[in-house]
Order: sequence, then structure tokens, then C-alpha cells
Amino acid sequence: MTISRRTAIKGLAAALSVSFSGLAAQAGETLDRILSDGVLTVGTNSDYRPNSFMNDNNELDGFDIAVSKEVAARLGVDVKFVTPGWEVMTAGRWAGRWDMVVGSMTPTKARAEVLDFPAIYYFSPAAFAVHKTSSAEKPGDLDGKIVGVVSASTYNRYLEHDLKLDVVGMPAFTYDVTPGEIRAYSDVNEFDDLALGDGARLHAVLQSVPVIGEAVAVGLPIKQLGEPVFFEPLALATDKGDAELNARLHNIIEEMKSDGTLAKLSVKWHGTDLVSTN
Amino acid sequence: MVTLFKSRFQHGPERLKLAAGLALSVFAATFLLSANQGALGDLLLPAMRPETLAGTWGRFSVALVAFLIGGGVVYALLGLRRRLQAYLTWAVLAAIALGLFYSFDLSFGFIGKKLPYLLSQGAVTTLYVSAISITLAFVFALAGATAKLSGIGILEGIGSFYTSYFRGTPLLVQLFLIYLGLPQIGFVVDPVPAAIAALSLVYGAYMTEIFRSGIQSLPAGQWEAADALGLHRMVTFRKVILPQAMRVIIPPTGNQFIAMLKDSSLVSVVGVWDLMFLARTVGRSDFKILEMLITASIVYWLMSIVLELVQKRIELHFSKSLIR
Repeated sequence: MTISRRTAIKGLAAALSVSFSGLAAQAGETLDRILSDGVLTVGTNSDYRPNSFMNDNNELDGFDIAVSKEVAARLGVDVKFVTPGWEVMTAGRWAGRWDMVVGSMTPTKARAEVLDFPAIYYFSPAAFAVHKTSSAEKPGDLDGKIVGVVSASTYNRYLEHDLKLDVVGMPAFTYDVTPGEIRAYSDVNEFDDLALGDGARLHAVLQSVPVIGEAVAVGLPIKQLGEPVFFEPLALATDKGDAELNARLHNIIEEMKSDGTLAKLSVKWHGTDLVSTN
Repeated sequence: MVTLFKSRFQHGPERLKLAAGLALSVFAATFLLSANQGALGDLLLPAMRPETLAGTWGRFSVALVAFLIGGGVVYALLGLRRRLQAYLTWAVLAAIALGLFYSFDLSFGFIGKKLPYLLSQGAVTTLYVSAISITLAFVFALAGATAKLSGIGILEGIGSFYTSYFRGTPLLVQLFLIYLGLPQIGFVVDPVPAAIAALSLVYGAYMTEIFRSGIQSLPAGQWEAADALGLHRMVTFRKVILPQAMRVIIPPTGNQFIAMLKDSSLVSVVGVWDLMFLARTVGRSDFKILEMLITASIVYWLMSIVLELVQKRIELHFSKSLIR
């Protein structure tokens, strides 16, 4: 992890400004709708602590929610949240149902074919978690074991050795683990299965470090295994084609980075600054 | 009501035999489940030494205790009136089921905290989505059955295509086709209308077949007799056929209503905040999925019980002619 995040972001900015100029053909449609309705409709997750989850008042809360509210405020519009489901959001072709997704989404090449990623807003370390009683000492010890992972996620693709992140300055990583079996989860929480015991259903789970931290904090008998295996960039996502909206969102996120708002929110929700630090 | 057994097993040896017979299954179940390791074994700990509770003989003696308790309960119940027997048995089984849930070591504080929202947002959404879908499904089914029995080739073709397609493809696929497919041709439907459309179309197709078979279960003589009296076909249908067919139609239709109430949980995949969605969401993000699923299952169950009772009422109404 020698490349700094800042370099990565600058590289991305350069890459994006080039790609925007080519897309200006059908610009502005979504942005016009947002501004004329006065509402920014944001698609997000509902069960992804600490980024977006239902709080004790049964309202959506978390880092992604706070970022969305701040973006809407800087656009001068109200914000409304919908939770269409991860597979539906990543599939693109939103038909104007929602305007952008702030759901800790990684800009992979496959997704970039159906979605635009106007701005990266933080980096998330991904690590393996194992049961407390596990004898594994480093990720490499998990070769041939059963690993649980959220379906259609970057973690799943990492385990399949098929993680192609199309981000300039993406921190280098290696595939440290070749699992014997990958078990994909969507409705059941993979941590619940891991908590049953070492190897009862799973030997390990690959998830983001903040989420593992939450699981440990609520008292599940699990622990993080070693250092993060890769850092993934997470970006705002929009439906293909509205360059004006993308440019506005890009500038807003840049502003939020330079005035420290994003870092402050990250510290509040992640416990550490995942926006600008190494 | 004509029953399968003439005897009510209320006296003497036959009562004892039936009690022993039913308790035998309790014995087998406890023995196979190695209940000496579980809660029942713990209850017997004060009376028996731990070493006698272990091993095959431990299992046997625990199963024997369960056999005696089960047999005693059955024997006592058999002495009561039939109606009371059924109600008490129901209560005992419900208590066992709830006791099983209770033994899962759940966080009841968490359930208590989340239950109001599960009901006010989740159950309410489930109810209104189901209610609208059931009403529409009823309309589709009436139209479908009418078309299939009309004797007009084109209508029969439409009716049979409808039932074939919607009964023959998974509900989940239809839901996604409506939700993701329609926007491609310019109709952007919201999640709730998409869910209602999918549910009512598929259940309308099932109920079309129920209505059709119910109507056709009546002998042709009923139609012919009405013809002979000079009744118009539509009058015959309304006044002669339908009242008799309803008796056959109601029980499977009640089944469909209950099934739909539960299948409405599929709408959670397109992000409708129904009971199932909230249970999964809250459970997943707080690592308490079992608590929420059990709570949701009980809420679904209570709603189904209401439907069961309504069905019973309607059944009673349409079978008046058969009561002796």
C-alpha cells in the first residue's frame, strides 16, 4: 500500500474529466429532473452497518446516508432514499426511479459498462474474518477452506481471482487465498453462519473492515484475520449518460474532500479517516 | 358431519389404547432426538443422576417419561367434548412450538424494541399489498373462468394461455419481468404496483382453474334441468350453478389467499418495506436475524389464522344444505 489515496484520486479526476467530454450528447436530463423536482432520490442499502442501516428510530442512518444528505444539501435539493436491492442497483438501467446510488459501491469494469462512477468518496479495507477458535494465522491458511461472501460483491470476485478494478492508481494487491468453496450470501448474514463455530458452515468470511468491526462490537465470537487483503475504492454511481450530473457530483465530492467534510463523516462512522489517509 | 371413526374413544380400553398409540410416536420422537441432552433431560436432572441420564438407557428413560406424560395428556383430553378437545390440543401444540422458539436463546429486548415498527410499517404494507392483490386476483379468476367456459374459441384460447403462462413460470421471475422489463418499453412502474400486478396475475391464474373445476364439478343434469325450466343460461349460472359450486370452490380459494399472504414476502426483493423486508434488514444489520425471522413468522401466522377463521365461516354458509 505505498501509493497514497490522494494520488489515486487525482489520477481518477484526470481520467474522468477526459471521459466526460465524450459523453455530453444526452446531457442534463437527470440533473434537470432533480433540480426541477427539488428532490434527489438516492438508492442505497438498508442493512450495511455502519454505512447505511436502520437506526433505533427506524430511519436510515450511517456514512452513506450522511454523504447523500450533504450532497443533496450542496445541490440545494431535498433528499429521498429508496432501497431497491443490491442486484437491481448494480444492474443499471434505473429508468429514472432513482438518481444516484450511494451504497459503498466499487467501480469495477463490469459495472462501468452499465453505470457511471462520477466520484470516489472513500476507500474501504477488505479483510478476512474467522471464528475465535480458528487456528488460521494468516489469510494464506484459508486455502481450500469454505469462505462466505456477499453475492455479486467485489469480495466474491476477489475470491474468484477476478477482481478487475478500473480505477487509476488502485492500490496494488495480490490474491492471497484460493478457497475450496465460495458460499454466496444475500439474505442470511454470513457472520451468523461464521459465528456457529469454526467450520460449522464456514471457515471464514471476506468483508470490509468496518463491518467486521461492527460484528465484533455486537459480541459475535469472531476476529479479523491479519491485515486487510486489499483496499477498494468506493464511488457514487449514476445511470449511464448524464455528464452534467456527473460533473456536478464530481465537483461536490471534491469540495467535500478539500473542506474536510468527508473525512469528518468518515471518522464519525468508521472510527478512522478512510477518505484521505493511507 | 360424517366422521372417519364411528367411536369417539371416550371410554374404557379403546380410550387407553388410542392414548398409548399416540404416545408411542412421542416416545419414538424423543428417543430419536436424543432428548436426554436437551431441555427435557435438564428437567429430569433433579430426579435422576447424571450418569443414568447419559447413553442409550438415558435416552430410553427420558423417552419413557415423555411417553407417560404424552399418554396421560392424550388420555385426559380424550375424556372431553370433541370441540374442547380440539381447542385444547391446539393450545398444547402452540405452547410446544412457542416453547421451542423460546429455547433458541433469543434477545427479547431487541424483539420488543423492533416489533412496533415491524407491525406499523411491515405488517401494514403486507396487509394492503395482499388485500389489493387478492381482490384483483378474484376479478382475474372470474374473468378467466368465464372465458374458459364461454364456448367461444378465442376467449378459451386467451384464458388457457393466461393460466398456462402464469401458472407455469415462477412468481419471482414474473415480478422481476414486470419491475425490470416494463421500463425497457417505457412504463416505469413503482415497486408496489409491480408487486401487486405479479401477485394478482399469478394467483388469478391459479384461481381461474379452481373456479373452472368447481363449476365443472356439477353434473350436467343441473344445467339441463334449468334449461328444461326455461331459465336463461346466465340466470342458471347465478342462481343454480354458482351457489352449489361455491361449496367446492371456497376451501382451495382460502388456501390461495393464505398462500398469497405469505408469497407477498417476495415483494421485498424489489425494495418494498414489507414485513419480510424489515425483518431481514433489521435482523441482518444488527446480527439478530433469527429473532426477526421468528417474530415475522408469528405475525404471518396470526394473520393467516384470521383468514382461516373467515374461510371457515364462509364454508359453513355455503354448506348449509348438507348439514344434518
